[in-house]
Amino acid sequence: MIEMLQWTTLIASGAAALSRIPNLVRRKNRSIFYALALLTLAILLSIDGPYLAIDALLGGANVANLLLRFIIFGAIFFLALRIAAGFGDSRGIQLIRGRTGMLALGLISTVLVVCFVLMDTSGSSAGLVHVAAKNQQNALLVEYYGAAGRAYPAYVCLAILPGMLRAIRSPLPALLRMSAALLAVGSIAIPLSLLFPLVPPGLGFLRFIVNYTAILCFVVGLALIWVASGRAGRKHRPLPAERH
Amino acid sequence: MPLPAKAFQRWLNGVAPDTSTADICRVSGVKRTTLAQQLVRGKVAETTVVSISRAYNINPVAALATFDTYSDLASSSLPPSDKELVSQIATVDLLRAVIVRTAPTGSTGTESMDPCQPELSPPPHATSVKNWVDAIDDGELRHRVSTATGVAPQNYSAQLTANRLAPELAVATSRAAGVGLAGGLVATGLVTEAEAGWPRGARQAALDRLSDGDLAALSGERLQALGKTLRRQEQDQEQTERIWENLV
Repeated sequence: MIEMLQWTTLIASGAAALSRIPNLVRRKNRSIFYALALLTLAILLSIDGPYLAIDALLGGANVANLLLRFIIFGAIFFLALRIAAGFGDSRGIQLIRGRTGMLALGLISTVLVVCFVLMDTSGSSAGLVHVAAKNQQNALLVEYYGAAGRAYPAYVCLAILPGMLRAIRSPLPALLRMSAALLAVGSIAIPLSLLFPLVPPGLGFLRFIVNYTAILCFVVGLALIWVASGRAGRKHRPLPAERH
Repeated sequence: MPLPAKAFQRWLNGVAPDTSTADICRVSGVKRTTLAQQLVRGKVAETTVVSISRAYNINPVAALATFDTYSDLASSSLPPSDKELVSQIATVDLLRAVIVRTAPTGSTGTESMDPCQPELSPPPHATSVKNWVDAIDDGELRHRVSTATGVAPQNYSAQLTANRLAPELAVATSRAAGVGLAGGLVATGLVTEAEAGWPRGARQAALDRLSDGDLAALSGERLQALGKTLRRQEQDQEQTERIWENLV
């Protein structure tokens, strides 16, 4: 079940990225392509098989996991900025790109790298499960490392959430409001992942469900916007020319 | 609440005995599937009754009055007030009247300023429902309608903003305002002025009775409301376009 959710998310995200290629060539909103491509890569890296294969190439010391974290940071940064700009949420943009956002990114990245360096990371293991099992210090470091890795996406999602909630109640076309609702669900789910350490081990599958539903919500939400634009395009296209 | 199917069947039997549903639909222009659906659900829309009565040369208001919900339509003979009449004049027509009245006499020359004015466009116009309610509202009307019908004030307002009003609510509004009961049906476009018994040229006459000051003030109010609506639409459009621009 979890495997299926993972691969579904990978396919959805990969398909969304591929669908952006024409716009990439036309140099239109290219950061959406980059964000989706990074997201696809991140999902790939979060699945056991691909993770082990890629980490083996990187020396088998779980550098792929650190890479995965920064890929997620990059993807969420670009995506959230675009979304906030699209929904006219200047405060959200400010919170992400402004001084607070940069400070959060810098601080969290530092914690992430320091934890990683302090850990004994030998032995490839997706989700660092085996690394945590080595000794108590490692277990603690993996916990902090994981929390840091979830903190930045959570911060960014909380930054854009008010804008999404406003958009749901706005007089926008129904499809766009549905899309805003999906994006809002995603932006709520990701901060929820901060509570993962409190989830009892028996309910560990909840982590996967929250993570992948969040990503699916984002991808489907974006796809809905493209559907809406396609529909509107057939009726009227007031935008003068392609933007560069 | 639309009309009960049973009562409708009874009425139909009286109007067009021994006529097949197919024939009735052909003559009245009501879609067969629509009518079939309404009968299955047990609720027939007022528009159906109006269309069929027109096809059989029956006054739609009188036809509606044969149903329990609308029985008091028959006994209502109050003529429309000037305010109601003027509320059913389209904004463009009001503005044309302003221009005609303020143009210095004899200097116009253009055809549109001809003393034999073009006829007023028939109701309903783009904001006819809201303008009508505003025209008969003493300040407490919405509240009274809400109490009488159980419809929440915000739902009522939403209908007015969308320039719609369920026929039953329209009649309830007239009743609560103490004006002629068919006025709301004219404002919503369900029936024509003539069908509601408004005298020919009554709106033009009411317009002519308006003083220059009142006409200018009224036109100003309409324009202001129009400006607000347009600006809101423009903002919504802008918002949508920003999404296209950034996320598509």
